[in-house]
This record gives sequence, C-alpha cells and structure tokens, in this order.
Amino acid sequence: MSDTDTDIDPITLEILHNGLRSVTDESYIAITKAAYSTNIKERRDHSTAIMDRTGRLIVQAENSLPIHLASMLGLMECLLAKFPLAEVEEGDIFVANDPYQAGGTHLPDVNLAMPIFAEGRLLGFVCNLAHHADIGGMAPGSMAGGMSEIYQEGLRIPVVKLFRRGELVQDMLDILLLNVRVPEERRGDYYAQIAACRLGARRMAELVERHGPDRLEAAFEMILERTEARLRSAILEIPDGTYAFQDVLDNDGMGTSDIPIAVTVTISGDDARFDFAGTGPQVRGNVNVTMNATQSAVYYTLKGMLDPDIPNNHGLIRSVEITAPAGTIVNANFPSAVAGRANTSQRIIDVLIGALAQALPEAAVGAANGANTTAVFFGEDPRGGGSYLYLETLGGGFGGRATKDGKDGVQVHITNTSNLPVEAIEMEYPLMVESYGLIPDSGGAGTYRGGMGLRRVIRPLGHETVFSGMGERFRHHPWGIFGGEAGGTGRFALRGANGAEEALDDKPSGVRFGPDQAVVVETPGAGGYGPPEARDSTALAADRRGGKFTEDYMARHYPATGDGE
Amino acid sequence: MAWVIGVDVGGTFTDFHAYDDASGRTHVHKTPSTPDDPARAVLAGLETLAAAEDIDLADVARLSHGTTVATNALIQGRGKRVALVTTQGFRDLLEIGRQIRPHMFDFQKDYPPPLVPREFRLEAAERVLADGSVYRALEEGEITRVVEAVRESGAASVAICFLFAFVNPAHERMLRDALQAALPALEISISSDVQPEFREYERLSTTVLNAYLQPVMTGYVSAFESGLARRAPSASLGINQSAGGLMSPARARELPIRTALSGPAAGAVGAIHAAGLAGEANVVTLDMGGTSADVCMIRQGRAEMTFERWIEGYPARVASVDINAVGAGGGSIAWFARDGLMKVGPRSAGAAPGPACYGQGGTEPTVTDANLALGRLSPAGLLGGGMAMDIAAARASLAPAAERLGLSVERTAEGVIGIVVANMVRALRAISVERGHDPRDFVLLPFGGAGALHASDVARALGVGRFVVPPAPGILCAKGLVVSDLSESFVASSLTALKPENEGEIAVVLADLAARAEAWFAAEAVPAAARELRVTLDMRYIGQNYELGVEIGAADAAAPGVAALSAHFFAAHELSYGYHNPEDPIEIVNFRARAVGRLERPPEPEIAPAADPAAPVASHRPVIFADGVAHEAEVIERTALRPGHEVAGPAVIEQLDATTLLHPGDRLRVDEALNLIVEVGT
Repeated sequence: MSDTDTDIDPITLEILHNGLRSVTDESYIAITKAAYSTNIKERRDHSTAIMDRTGRLIVQAENSLPIHLASMLGLMECLLAKFPLAEVEEGDIFVANDPYQAGGTHLPDVNLAMPIFAEGRLLGFVCNLAHHADIGGMAPGSMAGGMSEIYQEGLRIPVVKLFRRGELVQDMLDILLLNVRVPEERRGDYYAQIAACRLGARRMAELVERHGPDRLEAAFEMILERTEARLRSAILEIPDGTYAFQDVLDNDGMGTSDIPIAVTVTISGDDARFDFAGTGPQVRGNVNVTMNATQSAVYYTLKGMLDPDIPNNHGLIRSVEITAPAGTIVNANFPSAVAGRANTSQRIIDVLIGALAQALPEAAVGAANGANTTAVFFGEDPRGGGSYLYLETLGGGFGGRATKDGKDGVQVHITNTSNLPVEAIEMEYPLMVESYGLIPDSGGAGTYRGGMGLRRVIRPLGHETVFSGMGERFRHHPWGIFGGEAGGTGRFALRGANGAEEALDDKPSGVRFGPDQAVVVETPGAGGYGPPEARDSTALAADRRGGKFTEDYMARHYPATGDGE
Repeated sequence: MAWVIGVDVGGTFTDFHAYDDASGRTHVHKTPSTPDDPARAVLAGLETLAAAEDIDLADVARLSHGTTVATNALIQGRGKRVALVTTQGFRDLLEIGRQIRPHMFDFQKDYPPPLVPREFRLEAAERVLADGSVYRALEEGEITRVVEAVRESGAASVAICFLFAFVNPAHERMLRDALQAALPALEISISSDVQPEFREYERLSTTVLNAYLQPVMTGYVSAFESGLARRAPSASLGINQSAGGLMSPARARELPIRTALSGPAAGAVGAIHAAGLAGEANVVTLDMGGTSADVCMIRQGRAEMTFERWIEGYPARVASVDINAVGAGGGSIAWFARDGLMKVGPRSAGAAPGPACYGQGGTEPTVTDANLALGRLSPAGLLGGGMAMDIAAARASLAPAAERLGLSVERTAEGVIGIVVANMVRALRAISVERGHDPRDFVLLPFGGAGALHASDVARALGVGRFVVPPAPGILCAKGLVVSDLSESFVASSLTALKPENEGEIAVVLADLAARAEAWFAAEAVPAAARELRVTLDMRYIGQNYELGVEIGAADAAAPGVAALSAHFFAAHELSYGYHNPEDPIEIVNFRARAVGRLERPPEPEIAPAADPAAPVASHRPVIFADGVAHEAEVIERTALRPGHEVAGPAVIEQLDATTLLHPGDRLRVDEALNLIVEVGT
C-alpha cells in the first residue's frame, strides 16, 4: 500500500471510513468516562468529530446529538477565518462557544478543536463539544429564560487557543473557570475534553502512518461524495412538488407570543430546497436560533424520514439548499439571546415533518412534545458542602406513527439525553423527588395515539431552593396528523402545603421556595396519527386497562368505540 | 474413577466435554439442541455419550451446566405474569427508564415493551431517604392492601423495588414476608436481595427480569435435577453464572438473572484456562460463530467484569464477564447501502437458509461464501463434518456484488472478509479503549466455529502480534465448564467519602461482606484451602457520576487504609482515563466481594512431543490471501499435530470443529497443551 496511491476502491473506502469512525467513537467514550459532570457522563450531552483542513465535517461520532453538528461546523468556519494556517500549530487546542463569533448555537456548548498534522502539513482537526452545566451569566445553569441579550447568558468565548504547541495557556483556563459556577467540576470537564482531543489526534496519527495522508484526504472527499449520493437518491424518491407548513412557538418569555415558524419545501428531482420565509422576526427572549442550528434541524428531519443511518458529514450539508431571512427567529442576528434554542429547534422539526408529511405520509409522525423542558435548582446545601446547581431536561410524548403508537415519556428529536436517577439526585442534592410518572390523557387520540407527557414533583429538604425553568407547548398543543388529535400541553406549578397547585409562568426565573412547597413539572404529550375511530379495539382495551387514559377521556375521544370495552 | 462433565447448551448445538480424573480420558460430544425443552438434548446426549464411550453414569461426580434458558424465555416471551410493587409515585419508572430513544434518528425503533404491563404495576405508600432514614413508614394497613392487590393480579411472581432499599431494605423485607405468608406459591424478587445497589431504574429492571425468570428457571432446574438424579445419582449439579463460576440449583432458582450469560461466560473461563496453559496472561478472546462474535478482555489471567448489561433489550445490573457481541459471523450477509458501498452484517443468513454454499436455499453472499471462494475453507466442508460445500453456489452468490463493484469475484470475496474484519476491529478497539487498554498489548485467542479462520486478519488489522488457538475451539465453552469453580458475588452500596475518619466505617462494611462470604463458604462446604475472596470497590471523584471498579486485592482481616485505597484508585483512573488528580476528594459507591470456592481441576493429560518439528502435510490447495494471488498452501490435519510441531504459512489447519488459517509469513508452533501458537507475519 503506497502513500501516493489515492485510487481507492469502494471496499478500501469502507474499511478506511470504519477506521475514522473508530477515532470518533473512542474520543466520544473518552469524554463520557472522564468528565466530572452528570450532564456529560450520564446524560451524554457531548459529541466528537473529525474535520478536514477546510473545515468540512468528515465523520461525527454515532451517538452525537444532531444539534451539535451545527456548532462544530460553525466553529471550524470561524477558526479558519480567524487564524491564518501558519498560526495553526501542532499541539494547539482551540476553545470556543460563542454563537456570533465562533459559530456556536448556545453558550453552554463548549467546543474544542485540535489540528492534526501529517508530514508537516495540516490534515484536519479532531473536534469535540460538551454541554457544560454552567457557563456563568445571570442564572445558574445558564439556560433560564428572562434574558434579552447574549451577554446575560454567560461567558462568551471567541475562538482562542487553550493550548499553544502542547503547552496549556493557564491564563485562558483561569478566565474560563473564574466565570462559571462550580469551577472544580468545569475543570474536570475541560480535562475530559482535552484528553479526548489528544486521544483523537493520536489515533489519527496511527491512521496516517498506516494509510498515508494523501490516501486519507482522498478518502475524505469520497466519503462526502458517497453520502451526498446516498441522500440525493433518497430525495429522488420524494414526489416533486412544493410543501408548506407553519406552526407557532408559545412565547419568548419576554413579551412576544405566538411566534410563527414557517417552511416551504420544494422537491425537484434529487434537489431539495428549504425556505423559512414567513417565519417571525427574532425576539428579545432566549429562544432565537442561529442559522447553523436551523440547518441541523433540517438534516435531522431528512435522516429521520428518509434514511436514519446515513452518516453525518458535509455530504449531507451540500446536498440541500436552506434559506432563511436574516433577523428571523431561525436565523438570528447578534446579539440576540439563544440559550433556549433547543425548544425552537424542536418546533422547526415539527414544522418540517408537517410539510414533508404531505409527500411522505408513511414516514411522518404527529407533533412531538416540541420542547426541551428544562428545570434548574440552585441553592445552599444545608448539609454543608456549599452551593449546588442541578439542571435537568425532561422528555415527553413522541408523535403517533403510521403503524404504531408514539413513544411515552422520551426525549424527542433534537435531543436524547437521559434523566438522572432519583437516587443520584437525592444523594447529591438536598432535594426530594416525590413522584415521576406518565400523565394520564396526555397522548393525543388517533388510530395510533401520541405519546404521553411526564410529571415530576420535586421538593427541597431543609432549605430554600431557587427554581428556574423553560417550557414550550404549554399553550399550543402538539398537533395530530391525518386526523389524529392533539396531545396535552405542559405546565409548571408550585404546590403548597395544602396540596393546592399554583401555576407558574412557562419560563419562570428565580422562583424561591422552601420545604413545605414543591415544584410540579409537567411536560407536553404528543399528537396522534390517523382518525381515532380507526383505532384497534385491543389497543383501546389496553389504554383503559392500564389507566393511561381515563374513562371520561375515552368516552369523549373514542365515542364510537367506547361501549362494551 | 470419577467423571466431570461440562454441558453447554447453545442456540444450535449442545456440547459436552467429559473428563475422568482417574484415567485421564477425555471425550467430547455434540448434539443438536432442543430449544423447546433444552433438558431433553442434555439428558439424551449424556446417554449417547455414555454408551459411545463406555462411561458408567453412576461414576459422574459433577455436572457443570451452561444454560440459555433465561435468554430464551425472554426472546420467546415465555415468562408468566409478573406483578410489580414500587414506592408510591414511581410505578411508571419501569416504562420511562432513562427517557431515551434507542436510536437518535430512527422514528420507528423502540425498546421492547415493559415486562410488567401498567395494570400490574402497584404502588406502596412508603419512603426511605438517601441516608436510610424512614420518611414515610410502610404501615400494616398498606401492607394488607398491597398483598390483596397482588393476589388479585393473579401473578406467578412479584418484583418489589423501593427507593433507597439498597441502603435500608426494611420495607422491602416487610412486604416480602407478608406476601410469603399470604401467598406461599408466589415467587418473590426484592431489589435489596437481587442487586442491592444505587440507581433505581437499573435495579428495578434487574429485579423485574429476575422475577420474570423465576418461574421459568424453577421449572427447568427441577425437571433437570430429577432427570439427572435418575441417570447419574452421584452427580452434583452446578449452574454456570454470567460472572463465571458455578452456583447451586437452589441459588439459580432464586437468582435466575445471574445465568443470562451462562454459556459465553463459560467460554471466557475456557479461554483463560487455555491461555494459562499457553503461558499467556493478557488475552482478547474472539468467539466467532454463525451470526455474531463475542469479545472479552482477559488481564492478568482474569476476565474483566462488568455490572452493566443489556439482556434482550432490557438493562440489568448483574455481575458478568465483560463480553460484548459484535454483529459479525460466518453467516453475515454482504449488501449494498444507498451510498453504493458494500457493508457486511449485522443481518445473518443464520442456520436457515445459511450461506449460499450450504445449498439450503441461501442466495445472498456471506462471509462463509467468501472464505470458500478464496480457498480458505475446504470445499469438503469441516473435517468429518460430512457436509460438502458448493463452491459454484458461493461464487454465484458473490457475482452480482463483483459486477456492481467492477471487481473480480476473488477481490470481492477479499472485500467481504476485509469489511467483516474491519467491523470486528472497530468494535474491539472501542471495547478496549472503554476499558483503558491498548489491544496491541494483548494476545488474540480465537474460538467458536469461525474465530481461528479470521484470527490472522483480525490480529493484523489490530496490530496484535500473536494468536493462540485452543485444542477444541468449537467446544471451548463446555471445556470451560469442566474447569469452572464455585462462586458467589456480594455487594453493599454505601456512599462513603474516602477520608481517614471513615476508615472505621469502611472496615465495618468490608467485614460484613467477608462475614457473608464466610457463611456462603460454610454452606457450600468449601474447604479452607480452596477459599478465595476478592474485593472490588466502585470508586469515583466526588462530583463524578460514573464509578471505576477498583480491585483492592484479596480481603483479609486488616482493612486497607485511605492512602492505600487512594493509590489503587489513582492507578485505575490513570489506566482508564489517562490522568488523575491527587488532590480531588474520592468516594466509594459500592463495595463488592467475589467469593470463589476452587474445585479440584482435572490435570492436563501429558502428550508425547513430536519427534520431528516438521508437521505432517495432508495435501496442498490454492488459497487466496491478498490481492487476488493464489498461494499453494499446506493443508494439515489438527489431529496429527503434536507438541513441538512447526508450520510456516501459507497453510490451513483443519479439524472437526474449526479451521485455522496461516497467512504467508505467519509461523505456528504447537505447545505442550496442543495449543497452536501463531506469530503473525508482518
């Protein structure tokens, strides 16, 4: 196998591609294992990737979150714009998070990139991203609502060097750590990301040694070509036409309600165009989305509806055309706030599915819980041990499908992070989880019903805690499809000593309460698929038997089939 | 005269390995499995073996059994109705799990449905807090109510899992006692007995799996015991556990979840034994069969253990040998994805229709077809196997792929093998990195029907320099059962900061584990000299939520101090993650002990060495290794090999249950235990 041999047959390409995937797999595992924070270790809110020297994504680890794809691409674009190649040196590690200066999607997602050199020349980068549980700013967890500018959301990091030729830039790390809550934990997470960069670079060096840089570069290009061909062949099977859909976000938490998100999809042969004209202007609240996050939502939807196993790389990106007017909520300008962008991304995906459902009914699903319901608790641990910060995001319903019910109580679409065990929460934080279950009647009726939302009740023990949250689809129900009905909405409430629940805002910030009260978090369900009257009698019997639906609900939503069961 | 017999029930075959410690005689036997009633094949096979080899079954002292009863029951959904009782407010936890989807992008993929439907998931008003204190007592009236509800459910077994029962099991025990008194026929699994450790969902899932399997295992073991008693009245029965090591039939009825990986764990024990005889302590096993390959890392002569497993789509926390399955086997099918690239597996042609060359109706190209087309497998089929292979059919199955690629059939066949090897290597790498190892520091030990055939390719791609093929790679699991010891695992979950003032508390927990182990040794009548107790602590930095299992050596009277424990942890952290921070505070999450009662191991028979290192060559045939070039390879019968024989590749070593391939440049020698030791050429 000679170094200059760049003629790669498809078999060798598959084997090389496997070798590259191995690099991202291993770096991904390295972060999971070495990180300190639960957000990364248990919830796997991180990603790893290999980029080529022009910043194109070649391989992303399989378990990576779809939304992370965007900020890695954005980072590379900004890195290459800012640093001339002569200033990118062996042993450097770059760090960045800013959505406007460094291509990020929100500040807690911290990106690292390390260049890989072969025979003295830049071959590409290994990158990774981890969602840090706090990046400073106004509210603990850096995810709360009520902010109107990015400056309030946390520390903004442009693309800078954290390592210079293998040496840690201590001053930089000092700045990074001074600006965040619980800095010891953040330091552990940075170390995990650094270790993953180094492991990735080491493994890339081994691949270079084995195959030679020319062959690898040729493989990079071929991988992208193959992926593009794969996606285009799937698009070709979509009937030509123009498909439009629109939905609204509840609000931005800062006075703007019913924010429209609209898309028009045009399919022509193997070309697909997505135009978000008609979407509302960017808002003061933190639910704005930068263009690269909107692109992520499009790639996610295409994979989900066409070919779930298609690799994530630049081949996907160059196969479709995506446009959105600048200054809208899906293509926000500086300095709008973006921390809650996952909620908007979920809604963009619902809208995309709604549009493509007209062309691909078998692959479509009812609207999902459309949120990334977030709950953050911050306080002083009365058992000693200083202040604590606990952030969780809750799943909800996943829409009904063409041949089966939706999923109950899961993270949907753009995110798939796991919950934290109740026993872990209570061992680590002075909090008690009183209950955790599915919400009856929350899955929209249908031939195949929508999934159910989750209800979780949390009480502080022996102290006062400060609660902040972020909810969506608290007013606008997740819609059903092809005759399926809408699912339930979510809500936050404060339960008093007498058991009465007092509703909280859907984007509450700084709610202080003590041990005689508890926060109730309820997440939205999802929409059903197909008309309820076509629902199978066995399924109806199971809905009743398990108590997932009340008799009253069944009588109202399945009247034709209600008797005799 | 006493026989020890290992019986491994696999999906396709039931394998026997019999050894007589008086005469040194060894016999192996293979018979088709009977999945509807696995005991039938075992008992009938035992009689056939006895008749054929003139064994008096009355002389069988021990029968060690690897069983797939548990996994089969899950696959076939044969379990009976299970009821579940959780802490009030948490009956949906079984269904919610970790609130994740099994595939990020696939709208249609789901986890299997919960084993207990919602109407049989009950709640009890009770609550224990993290420190073990009772926040809400489980009252008499509540117990009565729950007992009635369980009775009404008509369940054959019940799982009980309360929050923090691993810290304070009192409520679980109260309810268990009440249920036992009221419903004597009911089988009961409580989480504080099944797996008393932290993280409620995994503990719950494990407890429910156990309850689901209890009636199945009870039925199977009872029938098996009586059938065995009629045929071999002096044989003591041991059931192999997922962690390796045998347990009594009574224990298997209580904790059937521990048998979920019974067979593969026996393979690891057999591999450790074979590697030990070959003088190798650090080994990666590659058990490659028809549909998948199992991989396990053995370090310092011991298999790595894990406490996290997925069993047929359900998570389980149970001590098991850390075996990982890779979707790559002889039957794996080559196909084209939309991107025009060829993929191999995970879909497999299985036993039916099987690879195209079996002539049983298969038309898609498989790994076996590719091996045959390249001459790596004998057209006569496995030696003595009696099943000829159809080369024309193999080539015909590969032809469409070759045409699509614009390559020759031979190059396409090389590609199929290259890709299946790349898949295995990627999985092997991920597994080793996850455990903090570099696979290049290990020796490869292939077994199963297809392991030795691909060992040289895998070793090359991994950068491993040597592989060892045991004498009977096709029945290594049954051999492993013969050399298995008795064992039992204990765990105590107690979050304890590692600081000097807690040394007393740590000593108390360790002493309690040791006492439980002593009681077990006594109950199993393990003689003092044969007892071994090893302690592992799950430790982490405070703030981390992921523990490292840190082995702190044999447990004895003197509990180790904080300094020694920290040093163990630092070393483990360094190994797994490449760094450690000596200043950061550490805590212990779980205390684990594994008690082993060493059983007398049959000595290895001595075999006369070869007079001449040149191995007898049976024939020659052309074999393609790389770049489409055929080499005239020596074909050697394994049975003709003696200690000291040497072979230089290209060569093919054929035997009843496997084929070993030597690439040009590979060098083989046979050791005293008849292992093939192969140095991989460069």
